[in-house]
Amino acid sequence: MSGTYHNSLVLLGSSHRVADLSVREKISLPSESIDEFYNGLGKIKGVDEYLLLNTCNRTEIYAASHKELTLDPIKQYFSKFRNLEPSFLNQHSYHKNNHGVVSHLFEVASGIDSQMVGETEILGQVKKAYDDACRRKISGKILNRLFQKGFQAAKWARTNTGISKGQVNLGNVLCELARRIFGKVNDCRVLVVGAGEVAENSIEALKSRGSQSITVTGRTFDWCPLSRNKPNELAEKFGGFALSFNQFKESLHLFDIVLTSTASGYSIIGYTDIKNAMKKRPSKPLFLIDASVPRNIEEKAAKVDNVFLYNMDDVSAIANENLKSRMAEVEKCKGALAQRAKKLWDQIVYNS
Amino acid sequence: MNLDETRDLLWLACGFYGLAFLLGLLKTFKINWSVFREVPLAAISMGFLIHTRALYLRGLDVNGCPLGNSLERIQFILWSLILAFLILRLLWRLDLLGSFCAGLSFLAGGVSLLFQSLDSKYWLSPNYHKLFSNPWIELHASIAIFSYGLFSLLFVVCCMFLIQRKALLARKFNKLSSFLPPIQELEIAAMRLLSIGVLFLTISIVVGGMHWTRHPDLVSGTKMSVTLIIWLGYIIVYFAHLSKRLYGSKFAKISISLFLIAIASLASVNSRSNKSVSILGPNSLEEK
Repeated sequence: MSGTYHNSLVLLGSSHRVADLSVREKISLPSESIDEFYNGLGKIKGVDEYLLLNTCNRTEIYAASHKELTLDPIKQYFSKFRNLEPSFLNQHSYHKNNHGVVSHLFEVASGIDSQMVGETEILGQVKKAYDDACRRKISGKILNRLFQKGFQAAKWARTNTGISKGQVNLGNVLCELARRIFGKVNDCRVLVVGAGEVAENSIEALKSRGSQSITVTGRTFDWCPLSRNKPNELAEKFGGFALSFNQFKESLHLFDIVLTSTASGYSIIGYTDIKNAMKKRPSKPLFLIDASVPRNIEEKAAKVDNVFLYNMDDVSAIANENLKSRMAEVEKCKGALAQRAKKLWDQIVYNS
Repeated sequence: MNLDETRDLLWLACGFYGLAFLLGLLKTFKINWSVFREVPLAAISMGFLIHTRALYLRGLDVNGCPLGNSLERIQFILWSLILAFLILRLLWRLDLLGSFCAGLSFLAGGVSLLFQSLDSKYWLSPNYHKLFSNPWIELHASIAIFSYGLFSLLFVVCCMFLIQRKALLARKFNKLSSFLPPIQELEIAAMRLLSIGVLFLTISIVVGGMHWTRHPDLVSGTKMSVTLIIWLGYIIVYFAHLSKRLYGSKFAKISISLFLIAIASLASVNSRSNKSVSILGPNSLEEK
């Protein structure tokens, strides 16, 4: 068969698999230089179609030709463009051609090649890169087919395998746990103690699931050296309420979910506080998440009936467990995607 | 298999419940079981129809509501359980509850059918006239048994609550717990089932009590006491939950214990004669 086809595909890439963060920073293309990079790439002889996928974790150049195509001129061009030693690029990159490119794209789009296996953000990034290539009219018959089939394969993998099952970050694990306790998150009243990055990410996750009642409190309403945002600013940003730190303990019974994320270094919610709160809402569960190290909620509080207390270790254990079950699905997914890739490559070859 | 024979039909219904249970579990634990998505519910429905016909045929045999021996009482409770589930299923799409109900019906129904001694043919006795001498007593008995069906569903929901709670406290989530509803919703559902069950049992006690005042000789003191204790137990649990004194895991555990006591006391009821039945609840539905 190899003697009868002309269509060819090549890929030059670098990702978290072959390069650490400092190396990826050198290889990655700054957004302002992408136009210039594309202009130069289009001038390489024999390259009919091309596309750049440039994310924080990977930089990949896909190129296709209706004739035989080799990777060397692309590699030379990239080294020169980024001022990289060819040996350095060789060490921190991978090269694929033809059927290997198809398989690789299917794995990337479905998230099994991502650092956080099964994450969905990558599919959006691949789509964005493809849209950009279409707009520039640099993607043709071969790449159009490759990427459109790649999107279908990604959808298939997420629907039919367990690679995206379970939550793997704090905000999403929190929402999943809240769902198991209360059902709908949007009916829950949430109190966030602290206004740092963890608090903000958690609020974002809760908001994205329709949470409407979010209250933020913190040790200070003025400038806080350990928080990125002041509580009132954070509350305002997400359409929530700000509560005075001096009053929040008396109001604990009004909330269904309490998340603490401060750098206070000591326990700010004690067993007695929770016991007193639960006396006012005995039959309603209270979900406590202590996302602080050192912990902000006394561990003994978990002994109170109808109280569910989770700390960072618990959340990490759940996330890791979910990640493990995703990993278990990777091989199964890879096998199925490889079959699809082979089928697509055969079609590309026959249609040439 | 004779489709006009009660026991054969009960075995068949039991088989369908077993099938529903098995498929339900497979559907829960196996990814991508969409092809057979509705099969467990269809199997439960088919089992219920066969179950209904079996009880109807037995009703024709005994010339009344078939509650004359232990097998009939267990089967009537299981029938009520499935009926309550099917009604709830219209409002609350919860296939795992169906699997639990089908599993309980398969297990309890199968065991009750295995022991021939539980199915005495009292209606074949030459002295047998009619199981229930009074239609009000028949109503009382059937309502009481139906309330037991609701309590058995309460038992299932409380078990689900405890499984979900255990998973949350242990921070370990298996596939079973991930398909269970949230604990807050389970507790609300349990309370609603308890309310309806208590209402039906109370109506049954009132109807039976009215008859008992006229014919106190028809019921033994022990059986009446057991029935009243169970009724009182459910009433206490109901009001304790209503006043927020009993909730969460304690509420679930006490509801489960109460149901097991009720079922155990039901099993202790033995037939003594074929002429009449006592009144006041399924525990006292004995023949004298």
